[in-house]
Amino acid sequence: MSLKALRIVWRISLLNIRAAMEYRTEFLLMIAIGAIWQVSVIVFATVLLARFAGMGGWDSSDVLLIPAIRMLAHGLFVLFLGRMHFIGRQIQEGRIDVYLLRPMPVHRQVQLDYFPTNAIGDLTVAAGLMVGALSRSTLDWTAGRTAYLIAAVIGGMLLEAALFTAVASACLRYPAADYWGRWLEELLGTFGSYPLNVLPKAVGGFLTFALPLAFVAYFPAAVLTGHDTAVPYWLAASSPLLGLVAYVGARGLWRWALGHYTGVNG
Amino acid sequence: MASVLHGWRAARVTPLGELHTPPRMTAVLLRLTVQVVLVASLWRGLYAQTGTTAGLSRDQAVTYAVMAVLASRLRELDQSAGRDMVLQHMHFGTIVYWYLRPLPPQRYYALRALGEQLYGLAWALGGYAVCLAAGVVEPPASAGVAGVFVVSMLLGQWVLYYVMLILDQMCFFTIRNNAAMLILIFAQNLLSGVYAPLWFFPDWFITLSGFLPFQATLSVPLSIYVGRIELADTGAQLAIQAAWVVGLALLTRWVWRRAARRVIAQGG
Amino acid sequence: MIGNIEVRGLSRTFHTTVRRPGFAGALRSLVNPERVAKHAVSDVTFSVAPGELLALLGPNGAGKSTTIKMLTGILTPTAGEARVAGVVPYEERERNARNIGTVFGQRTQLWWDLPVRESFAILRDIYEVPKAEHATRLKEFDDLLDLSSFWDTRVRHLSLGQRVRSDLAAALLHDPPVVFLDEPTIGMDVVVKEQVREFLRHQVEERGRTVLLTTHDMTEVERLAERVVLINHGRLVLDGTLDEIRRKFGSTWQVRVTLADPHTEVGGLPGIALLRREGPHAVFGPDGPDAPTVHQALKRVIERYEVTDLALDEADLEDVMRAAYVHAEPAAEGA
Repeated sequence: MSLKALRIVWRISLLNIRAAMEYRTEFLLMIAIGAIWQVSVIVFATVLLARFAGMGGWDSSDVLLIPAIRMLAHGLFVLFLGRMHFIGRQIQEGRIDVYLLRPMPVHRQVQLDYFPTNAIGDLTVAAGLMVGALSRSTLDWTAGRTAYLIAAVIGGMLLEAALFTAVASACLRYPAADYWGRWLEELLGTFGSYPLNVLPKAVGGFLTFALPLAFVAYFPAAVLTGHDTAVPYWLAASSPLLGLVAYVGARGLWRWALGHYTGVNG
Repeated sequence: MASVLHGWRAARVTPLGELHTPPRMTAVLLRLTVQVVLVASLWRGLYAQTGTTAGLSRDQAVTYAVMAVLASRLRELDQSAGRDMVLQHMHFGTIVYWYLRPLPPQRYYALRALGEQLYGLAWALGGYAVCLAAGVVEPPASAGVAGVFVVSMLLGQWVLYYVMLILDQMCFFTIRNNAAMLILIFAQNLLSGVYAPLWFFPDWFITLSGFLPFQATLSVPLSIYVGRIELADTGAQLAIQAAWVVGLALLTRWVWRRAARRVIAQGG
Repeated sequence: MIGNIEVRGLSRTFHTTVRRPGFAGALRSLVNPERVAKHAVSDVTFSVAPGELLALLGPNGAGKSTTIKMLTGILTPTAGEARVAGVVPYEERERNARNIGTVFGQRTQLWWDLPVRESFAILRDIYEVPKAEHATRLKEFDDLLDLSSFWDTRVRHLSLGQRVRSDLAAALLHDPPVVFLDEPTIGMDVVVKEQVREFLRHQVEERGRTVLLTTHDMTEVERLAERVVLINHGRLVLDGTLDEIRRKFGSTWQVRVTLADPHTEVGGLPGIALLRREGPHAVFGPDGPDAPTVHQALKRVIERYEVTDLALDEADLEDVMRAAYVHAEPAAEGA
């Protein structure tokens, strides 16, 4: 992206924030409700993990790292790449056709469609959770470990973005595929925060190889804390890299799907 | 009687729409199956190192969690596909037709929801039968428990109807409430006990949720089913559920009137 | 049921929030919104007799849709009164709903996910139409609109023409004496337009329905409406027949010429206005009350310019309307 393109992205983002403020009730409501949402998420993540202390051989000082990585990655995803969720609706309304007429990449235009006010709440919760997890952690946070943690968060964000970009690519052809996007979000939210070795082998395998949810937070956290997983160490350790590869691949898929886009309603 | 049945065909919209789109039904079946398997394995896994916790044994917790998945199917459809959500009608400007018919919008909405919930019930019952046969969920402890559970579930669905209605009614006042809706849906899922039984949460959280209607939708009937709420204590719970039904009925009626006034002031 | 429409002194004012420009302005609007009043419809009076088709005309934003919304009961007027088939629509919305059928051309009332025929069945149920009557009417509509070729298709898969035909049928299935149509033929091809016009004429002439129609298609007005009401800036400008409008705003004649030299300067003939000019083609019309007759005008044009081709005709309705819309503006601004 050139400097000029960056400036355009920045300017449109500012306009989007302004647009969000245009709807007075909505904007103020979002801020108010954001507070309730934050409390609920922290309660949910911490309480359940604390209740089943020692699950899968993880003690409570280590296990918090899993939801912390997952939520921080998710918050960053929502802020930077998250507009892929509701693309089914944009496609049905023919907005993609409009984007195709403009001299800017379609993917970027989708991302600039609106400002994700909720990302602010998501990130606040996630940052709080990460601080909590790190303060409880008994690990020695060397420069290498910290760097890996950062890489893991970015990799997790890219992997989540890759999954939703793949669903969005499918939506270009079958707008109803949006339904699967919502399910994906639910699965990531429900199963992303546990050590997956508590699950039977087949189920764990499904969440590793069919739906690569394990690579978002579980494997990186296992590598950081020295827990064994069902896959070889090198595979678990390369999670951040896999996130990058998956994202690049998903963008390729998106480009291909866009090239074969035939429009809606004939 | 004629006036009760008047407009009943609106109730068929959801089931008919689904029957006309077989891929959607396949998707529901697949999603439901995977979700049940995942949830059952997760709770079994969580309990591997623990005995009874928060007053729930392993089998109680698994039964609760699986039943929660089945029950949330009652009203968790791809509603936007039918373009008949209040949000969409406000967006496309077609809400005016709701006010151009001799059927009051609130009755039309109720009929649509009833049809949707009955259709979801068919799925939930089918899933329940399979899970019961496979031994994933436990049968109710006694006929008494089963009877009270059915009554409580009915009241719970009634409360859920009003909670969903309030979400939709918000669209009359703020069109762009997509994000706010997501948060409220999350609150509904968390506080009704879909994600995890409320019993696992700290006391202050349980107390807080006692002041909100969400737990009446699912947590109460499921706790009755698995026996976490004793049969002797169910009277009070049913009364609270009924109180929510009455309170929310009055509230939503008032909001319908305000919504109508708003449509009539702005012309849709 | 006598389907007449009576409108007296109908007015509607909207209050909107003005947004201040800039980021700081947006912040300020968040805290302290500024409100202004907009008069969408002011003091409009007209009536439609039973079995009459009236075209409500005016430029975009003139207040046509607002008027229709008040007559259908989904908008309450700020002043004045309206009666549709004897009912005050915004006071007894549901009673009024049984008497009227409405189509907003751009918006469908059909159920998106269901075959068209299912939508008809739901509406039959909502309007409590007896089964036999429903079947008879559906047959009648099918003969005129050719619905059966697509009524088992789901609405999401219909073409625009098919969808609007279905919407028209849906609006009339309960046999309403009064019908409101807001730009029903917008975006349709000529064949479907003709089919819809034929249908509407049949509904007015054979079934005696009262129809209030808004449209921007002047061919439609000429084919369907004997009487028109013209509004602009929310005010009634004219209520009369097409002939009256022609006489008031339209040139009663036009002289079309092709000039031998396309660069000839034209204009300045007393009582004769240049209406249009495209290269060598020029169209003249009468100008002011002292305009010459068409024969005098013809003579003067030929005397003044060298022409290679020439034709005489009556002004088409679009020209008349353009003149009427432009003419009406200063008066409305001054009021």
